[in-house]
Amino acid sequence: MINGTIFKQTLRANIKLWLIFTLVLTLLQVVMVSVFDDRMITDIGHMVEGTPLAGFFGQTTLLSMLASTFYAIHGVIFPIIYIIMTANSLIAAQVDRGSMAYLLSTPTKRSTIIVTQASYLIIALVVMFCIETVAGFITLQVFQSDVDVVIADFMMLNIGLFLLMFAISGISFFFSSLCNLSKNSLAFGAGIPLAFFLFQLLSSVDDSLEVLRYFTMNALFDTAAILEGENYWWQFGILLGIGIVLYIASLVVFKRKDLPL
Amino acid sequence: MTIISLQHVTKDYGHGRGIFDVSFHVKKGTVYGFLGPNGAGKTTAIRHIMGFSKPQQGIVTVSGLNSWNNASTIQETLGYLPGEVALPEHLTGEQFIQMMMDLRKIKDDTHCKKLMDFFELDASGKVKRMSLGMKRKLAIVTAFMHDPDILVLDEPTSGLDPIMQQRFIDFIKDEKRRGKTILLSSHIFTEVDATCDEISIIKEGHIISSFNKQELLNMTEKVFHLTVENTKDYTQLIQMIESDITFQLISKNEQINELQISCYPSDLSKLIKRIADFPLLSFSEVPFSLEKHFMEFYDRRVGGELPWQ
Ligand SMILES: Nc1ncnc2c1ncn2[C@@H]1O[C@H](COP(=O)(O)OP(=O)(O)O)[C@@H](O)[C@H]1O
Ligand SMILES: [Mg+2]
Repeated sequence: MINGTIFKQTLRANIKLWLIFTLVLTLLQVVMVSVFDDRMITDIGHMVEGTPLAGFFGQTTLLSMLASTFYAIHGVIFPIIYIIMTANSLIAAQVDRGSMAYLLSTPTKRSTIIVTQASYLIIALVVMFCIETVAGFITLQVFQSDVDVVIADFMMLNIGLFLLMFAISGISFFFSSLCNLSKNSLAFGAGIPLAFFLFQLLSSVDDSLEVLRYFTMNALFDTAAILEGENYWWQFGILLGIGIVLYIASLVVFKRKDLPL
Repeated sequence: MTIISLQHVTKDYGHGRGIFDVSFHVKKGTVYGFLGPNGAGKTTAIRHIMGFSKPQQGIVTVSGLNSWNNASTIQETLGYLPGEVALPEHLTGEQFIQMMMDLRKIKDDTHCKKLMDFFELDASGKVKRMSLGMKRKLAIVTAFMHDPDILVLDEPTSGLDPIMQQRFIDFIKDEKRRGKTILLSSHIFTEVDATCDEISIIKEGHIISSFNKQELLNMTEKVFHLTVENTKDYTQLIQMIESDITFQLISKNEQINELQISCYPSDLSKLIKRIADFPLLSFSEVPFSLEKHFMEFYDRRVGGELPWQ
């Protein structure tokens, strides 16, 4: 069902953007892992003893620090921006510009186009997060060999982040397949993931905004549950399910819709 | 045998836009002209032939296959030239040609090379940097590279310089000779006139006239331009024409003894016998103009006075 010719062209057109974002994501991970200083945290812990902050610093490990920085902000927003730009360019931008007409004037099925483009987006994300994870793992070994890190938890953080991005890419890809105009595709395909990101961020900074947790898919990537050994498999399952359903829905809407080409 | 068929196709985009109850049939080996001004609905009809759009009502078939359900199968023997060139910009012309060959599973590029030579296409540069004319030529070459039996061409000569327009018209005539079935949409009378056998005129989404050009030529009155030697014979000739209902006096210019007469082809020999007695300085036929016919049609129908049905 994947068309090699289309895949090759898609790769050619999108590889630059992918490289840039993969590089940025990997560098961020490497920097955040390497700058962590166990003793500094302990020092601060002593300093704030007896204050309300004591609990926070007392518990801080490398992974919990990463959970509240990279896995909450940088590692989320950069892939989201990549997804938004790529998903739109894969389908909606080509329908909007009209260049999709050339693909469809060959004996290529609509479903082949969707499957090929979706595969590109998913593979791009898989490879991006593999590189980021491997780089993070190596950095851990090199710079933090003396710190006690639960590697299984580190892996689960990355798998969880990938599943969140898979689900988000499903949202953006769905609207790219549904809308004939780039501006509409972006309004939803960018608007919804960004709103989710903001809700998650706001809900974590202030207790009064905690209710926002219930309005964001990002809450399903629950770093606290992963680090505290609670059951998080059902959340992973939901993220995976959302992604799969949205990609299938993309196929269905694109096959059925009118193309103004 | 009917190759392309639209039967009572309606697509309403709202606000009176779209196409309404459009029917026409393109027979094998004919060149069918789809003539109408901008916004008349030509591209909308073609979208349905290509299977890009699903008709709200009616049926569209190509070679007997429903074009919505069998779009990808139909493309195997169909060449499509879009009305607007929107090529993928990140490629070079050659990469684009290669991509289209791969998607069509063409191994042999001799036909493609021939087309590139014929249309003087230089495909080496980036598509982004090509002139509009060069982009159009690139689209033309990719539409015909697989030597399809059916050609669907949406305003094919727009954006081409006059020399290339003529070359394109020659190309179409040649393809017709090779037995291709061609649908050509246009708002330019001359290119439809030069290439098409059958013509449908569309206006505001409705087909207002469909005719066979040869039949129309046989049916319409012939117009002749005459100059008479002297005023006496001129006046007599005018009297003779005005007294006979088979002939019509179209115009006269008494100063220089000129007049225009029209009659149906069946009365031609009668006309010639009658005027043979007069001393003439000149006698010539005024060529039939599709454009004139088209305009008359438009003026009559489009004022909005006549109901469509
Ligand atoms: N996808 C669409 N949505 C809404 N209106 C459309 C759409 N496509 C075309 N139209 C309208 O339908 C009419 C016919 O357009 P079109 O078929 O492109 O005309 P033509 O090709 O004869 O110039 C125009 O008024 C146009 O604005
Ligand atoms: Mg048009």
